[in-house]
Amino acid sequence: MKLALNLQKTAVAVSTLLLTFGGFSCQNNLLEPTSQIQFSDQVVFSNPARIALQVNGLYSFVKVGGFLGGRVQVYGDIRANDFINRATNNVTGTAVWNHTLTETSVNDVISMWGAGYAAINQINVFLAGMDANAGSFVAPTFPSNFAATSLNYQGEARFLRALCYYTLLQYYARPYTDGSGSRLGLPLRLRAEMGPDANGLARSTVGQVYDQILLDLKFAEDNLPLTYGATAFNNITRAHRNTAIALKVRVYLTMGRYADVVTEANKLVPTSAPFVAPNGVAFALNSSITGVFAPPQETAESILSFPFTAQDTPGTQNQLAYYYLPNSLGGNNGEYSLNNSTGGVLSEPGFGAADARRTSLTALSGTERFLTKYPTGTPYTDKAPVMRYSEVLLSLAEARVRTTNSIDTQALALLNAVRGRSNPTGLYTATGLGSVSAMLDALLLERRIEFLGEGLRNTDIMRLNASIPGKSTIGSIDPTNPLYVWPIPSTELLTNNLIVRN
Amino acid sequence: MRKLLLPLSAVVLVMGARDLHAQSRSISGRVVGSDGAGLPGVTVLVKGTSLGTATDMEGRYTLPAPAGATTLVFSFVGYDSREAKIGDGPLNITLLSNPTSLDEAVVVGYGTQSRRDLTGNVATIAGREIANLPVQSFDQALQGRAPGVNVTTPNGVLNNPPIIRIRGVNSISLSSQPLIVIDGIPTYSGNNSAVGNVANNPLGNLNPADIESVDVLKDASATAIYGSRAAGGVILVTTKRGKKGQSKLSYDAWAGWSSAVRLYDVLGAQDYMNIKNEAVSNLNYNQRNRITGVPASNVIGFLPSFNADGSLVDTRWYDHIYRTGFSNSHSLNFSGGTEKTTYYTSANYTNQKGMLRNNEFRRYAARLNVEHKLLDKVTVGLRFDYSNTLNSSPASGSVADVAFGTAGIGRSPLVLPPNISPYNLDGSYNTNGAGIGPGANRNPLTGGVLVPGYYNPVVDLDNNYFTSEGAQIQGSIYANWELLKGLNLRTQFGLDNISFEDKSFNTPLAGEGFPGGSASNYFRTNKRWNWQTTAQYDRTFATNHNFSLLVGTEQQKTDVQRWGATRTLVADPFFTTFQGNYTNIAAAGSAYGNNYLVSFFGRLNYNYARKYLLTFNVRRDGYSAFAQKWGNFYGGSLGYAISEEDFWKNSGLGKAVSFLKVTGSFGKVGNNQGIGDFVSQTTYVSGLYAPNSTLYFNNAGNTSLTWETSKKTDIGLSFGLLQDRLTGDFAYYRNTVDGLILDVPQAPSKGIPNNTIAANVGSMRNTGVELNLRFNAIQKKDFNWTVSGNITTLKNRVLSLVSDDQPIGQATSGLETVNFTKVGQSIGELLAVQSLGVNPANGQRMIRKADGTVVQYNHQGTTGAGSTGWTILSNGADNGTNTTSPTQAADGVYYGPVLPTWYGGLDNTFRFKNLDLGVFIQFSGGNVIYNGTNAGLHDQRFWNNKTDILERWTPDKPNAKYPRVVYNDNISNGSGLIMSSNIEKGDFARLRNVQLGYTLSQTQLGFLKIASARVYVQVQNAALVTNYTGIDPEISSNNTTGASANGGAGVDRNSVGQARTYTAGLSVGF
Repeated sequence: MKLALNLQKTAVAVSTLLLTFGGFSCQNNLLEPTSQIQFSDQVVFSNPARIALQVNGLYSFVKVGGFLGGRVQVYGDIRANDFINRATNNVTGTAVWNHTLTETSVNDVISMWGAGYAAINQINVFLAGMDANAGSFVAPTFPSNFAATSLNYQGEARFLRALCYYTLLQYYARPYTDGSGSRLGLPLRLRAEMGPDANGLARSTVGQVYDQILLDLKFAEDNLPLTYGATAFNNITRAHRNTAIALKVRVYLTMGRYADVVTEANKLVPTSAPFVAPNGVAFALNSSITGVFAPPQETAESILSFPFTAQDTPGTQNQLAYYYLPNSLGGNNGEYSLNNSTGGVLSEPGFGAADARRTSLTALSGTERFLTKYPTGTPYTDKAPVMRYSEVLLSLAEARVRTTNSIDTQALALLNAVRGRSNPTGLYTATGLGSVSAMLDALLLERRIEFLGEGLRNTDIMRLNASIPGKSTIGSIDPTNPLYVWPIPSTELLTNNLIVRN
Repeated sequence: MRKLLLPLSAVVLVMGARDLHAQSRSISGRVVGSDGAGLPGVTVLVKGTSLGTATDMEGRYTLPAPAGATTLVFSFVGYDSREAKIGDGPLNITLLSNPTSLDEAVVVGYGTQSRRDLTGNVATIAGREIANLPVQSFDQALQGRAPGVNVTTPNGVLNNPPIIRIRGVNSISLSSQPLIVIDGIPTYSGNNSAVGNVANNPLGNLNPADIESVDVLKDASATAIYGSRAAGGVILVTTKRGKKGQSKLSYDAWAGWSSAVRLYDVLGAQDYMNIKNEAVSNLNYNQRNRITGVPASNVIGFLPSFNADGSLVDTRWYDHIYRTGFSNSHSLNFSGGTEKTTYYTSANYTNQKGMLRNNEFRRYAARLNVEHKLLDKVTVGLRFDYSNTLNSSPASGSVADVAFGTAGIGRSPLVLPPNISPYNLDGSYNTNGAGIGPGANRNPLTGGVLVPGYYNPVVDLDNNYFTSEGAQIQGSIYANWELLKGLNLRTQFGLDNISFEDKSFNTPLAGEGFPGGSASNYFRTNKRWNWQTTAQYDRTFATNHNFSLLVGTEQQKTDVQRWGATRTLVADPFFTTFQGNYTNIAAAGSAYGNNYLVSFFGRLNYNYARKYLLTFNVRRDGYSAFAQKWGNFYGGSLGYAISEEDFWKNSGLGKAVSFLKVTGSFGKVGNNQGIGDFVSQTTYVSGLYAPNSTLYFNNAGNTSLTWETSKKTDIGLSFGLLQDRLTGDFAYYRNTVDGLILDVPQAPSKGIPNNTIAANVGSMRNTGVELNLRFNAIQKKDFNWTVSGNITTLKNRVLSLVSDDQPIGQATSGLETVNFTKVGQSIGELLAVQSLGVNPANGQRMIRKADGTVVQYNHQGTTGAGSTGWTILSNGADNGTNTTSPTQAADGVYYGPVLPTWYGGLDNTFRFKNLDLGVFIQFSGGNVIYNGTNAGLHDQRFWNNKTDILERWTPDKPNAKYPRVVYNDNISNGSGLIMSSNIEKGDFARLRNVQLGYTLSQTQLGFLKIASARVYVQVQNAALVTNYTGIDPEISSNNTTGASANGGAGVDRNSVGQARTYTAGLSVGF
């Protein structure tokens, strides 16, 4: 009995020991795992290099294929009448082309909204982080001039935020000119969102969103560096002071504030030829239009373009060459051909047969003509253009004509500078044009020819509150039509109880 | 062979019997099971006496019997008893196992229990029921086999994981798959492949022939011991062990053919051209002045192509995609044991070719299970399994959320024009860039070539490959020390390491890889160790108080890593592998994860005279992924075996009802299955901005994220009638999931990464009843009929979410959202606008809006201010008022549920002399399916149509099923707007398996000098009865694991259906 009892005690002791060992040998540090590939949010503002990486991150969000890395440029053109949809694929814009979008359309209505706001929140989170961590930007980890660098970064962030809001306004809101900005705009998100609250936010008016855009651009203009040095790539793929001014030109033109267009554009354009930006990065027209679009697309004319590499591609079905360039011309699908029927830009008398933009930037394949501005097939590393100097020139010309209500001499010179480069025999004269409205028509046509496939067309129609012309079997859309602007996406309607449908 | 508890009563009885000495002659013989192996420990009694003995290790017995004895009774727990007349010579007999016998041992967490004593709800499936089915992984074979276990095969692609739901969907954002435990070690399940086109279910690594039993733990009492991982139920797989004294060698093989069934009838070339040209002319009709005076081009675009012999090209695309696939499987095992050591070892090879070209599954597997008595009180053991599987699949468009892929060959035969050929006249591939060439077809809008945009599937099938090869080592070593009588200390250390080498190659010729070609390789490792230590003390006090106490700890660490790259622009078509030369390379598929679980648990079983039964489990778990890491879980149950009461036994009722037990259980278990390892942390990752690196915010964490808990209630009744000829279980269950971990949708305008934040919000409830019956209907010497069946009902209700009026959508392959989960409804119901059919007056689709107005759609467009193509219909006439398009969100109506509300199986086994016939029917219903494939099959782009499009509206046939065809109309059919006309009921009954076998007699076996042999033929998926018009009512285009499987069931989008497989097989024992 004694033995048994001892045995029992021993057994209990051994069991306890083993279980205790088994249990408490548990490694508590294993319960607090860290990822080898993700950073904690606590360490991302801890040194200047990580902050610099974050600035790159902001650009990468704005340039995603679903936003300004390709889709925005495509949608801006295919809504109107210069392209014919060949692939009838809803994933590649068929519903945009034939105006059958709904609030559940994923690849356009839902995706562009999501991409734009994802970029905006990255910017807001970055700006909030810079504010919150400002006190720790001190030596020795940070250089003594980091305060200035910090302002540069914030300028870049706010420039990008302005660009995002501007872009979204062009699709999801009525034009500024419809009611002077009084119509419903976008939810104006300026706070860093990292938590579950604040899903509800009502739409600000179009005017309020533009006010914020201009505020951001003013900050950007005041704080951005003049240049990133001699490397063209840096000056084209990051915002400097002149980039912000160029965007202001576009924004004011879209708002119909032509006097302001003139003021801003004058900062970039001298009163007479040669037209070269006098301060900062010296924007200038490239001698030939084909050179502008020849890889690596880094001429002095490019104000802002988003870059790609074989490691960082636009992503499936976002690539500009995939949309516009058919296999026979070195691309892929050729989802859209140029509209060669009446109404399309090809049949415009002002688009001369010898115009380099026709002879060199379009090509025939079979019976169809295609845009060849984006020549690089897989892995599709053509830069996605956002702004070119020729746009500033044409915007200034238009604003001068509208503000002076005359066939302005400088305007004519600017128009001919752009036109004459590609079509030297097609220069306009004041007498040839004859009237202010003819001059405006010429300017609008020139923009249509010059920026074909660069996504400006939709805004050029809507900023004037004009009808979106029909094509092929698709009817035109007048400004009163509910299809004139895109619907607010269903994903927003489901989660934001203060949002209002278009 | 069944697992058996030591038949104590038989031993006692036999000991007693040996003291009797009144015999006059000796009878001997051998008792074998249906597999021909000797059965040790079978009680042999002289009928009407208490004289008897037990069989030895080889199943042999010798019994001295009195002169007047005429009959022997053979009985053995887990087997049907048999009587046999005493004749001259040896009396050999075969006993048939009875799988629901009340005395079988049931595997429960960290131990076993007798079913008679069980108070938790556990369903058991015998290994032999699934051993020779033509499946890739054992879980595919569980369909209809057990109540409460719903297994859905979402498509016919080999080794695609089935969707297993135990008592309904138990989570929304996490996994609802059960925890799968093999010999005590939790293993990996779900698709682990990095290549979207090929599925790799790691459970395919386990040779089904090695499985002794599969036990499914369903209620809280049974699952609480697995605490945090148990919300979706637990499936315990036990592999075979050697048995003392039985040296056995067996060989099982089968071979067979798989082919497609129920393919859609699509238009032939001539009908196709007629319909499409009619659509073109309908579009252009009256166009001339409508579009700002611009005359529309009026190209008749769909024109015949001709073969070299002048005949019309009329391509049946199915013929280029489907095939009859040959499959075979071979398993060899030998097992045995001595007093000290038992062993089981096996090897398996299977090669299965599916009905789709290039779809193949191959497995090599080997296993060794050894147990050795090291010392008198110390037993050590080893279980080791190595397997290598190769999965190969074409781009089926059916797995891993790729339903809308242009390369998907489930879809291409439905979409591609039949009037073009896969080959040019010179025999080269018909391609145009990446896509298939247009043949003679012209784009009616431009007059240029028609760009189908879809790929030539023949090019893809001939040149591309997508493979996922898995190599898994799974095993454990364990030691058991019986410190005291009844006190066992056990420790087990297990490893489960698996590597996946995933490859894809896309040819530069055409298709996805055009023009440069691309090759991707990925390598993934899952590494896990698991260490369990338990102490169990079993003791009986004062005769009737039976206690069993278990305490234990468990730790588990899992590491997952994956790296890979994609190379593009191949230097020369000669290269078809990643190792060739290419211009570009980009990193792809990188992944990193690690998690750790530590647990303390205990279980107390108590019963009084096996009448009053009690079980209580507790578990405390810490898990690394949560912000709030620790959770406590418990489960308790009570049972009352009324039939053990003397008053019952002695009553008339007791004669009829031989066993009756009521049980009830309640408990709280948790779920961490499928949660991201770092989801509770706010994190940044690095990416690229062209040549520069970036850093950005990628996950919004949640510092209060913790366990999802599930409260499970179960009330059960088990019974045996007519001397247990009829046995059954009935259960009512209720699972309430609280603190649902939800990827809470954030307003997209907030710009939160992925627009979600994981949080514990919401609750959901599943309720239902289960009935399981087994009836030995006829038991004659030469004829046997056993029928068993089970049925389960399920009612799923979402009780709360973030907000009552914010439904949560679940997209299908990221493109189309049909499923919405909303409070007060069942999970993932279908939201569709209400179609009122076709307006007889003009052939336009009519839709009812939420405000009651009926609108109609004209793809030709409408005129006047605000023209959208939609006009208001009043009094059945087109009054011409333009209106906005109806929308799913504003005008949609819910249809549900998408989960079957009833399902089950019916199994009949007939045995006539040496012949046996099994007929197994699986059934399910009460659910609805969104037949999105049907929308595509009536799309009026260049896509081909189902033959019933011939019943479209025309002026002569105003009462039509389908609208007037208008070229490029993708609205009226449902492609662009989800509509109710594509929602159908999903009820079905499937003749899942029919098997006819012949077992060789002892005489024949003696002649062949083998111990046992059986040959059989079977048909898998033999027939289907359903009103569903799609290819298969089990279909699901959404993923098989995680959120898209939970909230996205019941969507049919371009997936391939299940094959029909005929096999013939052979089992031989030596």
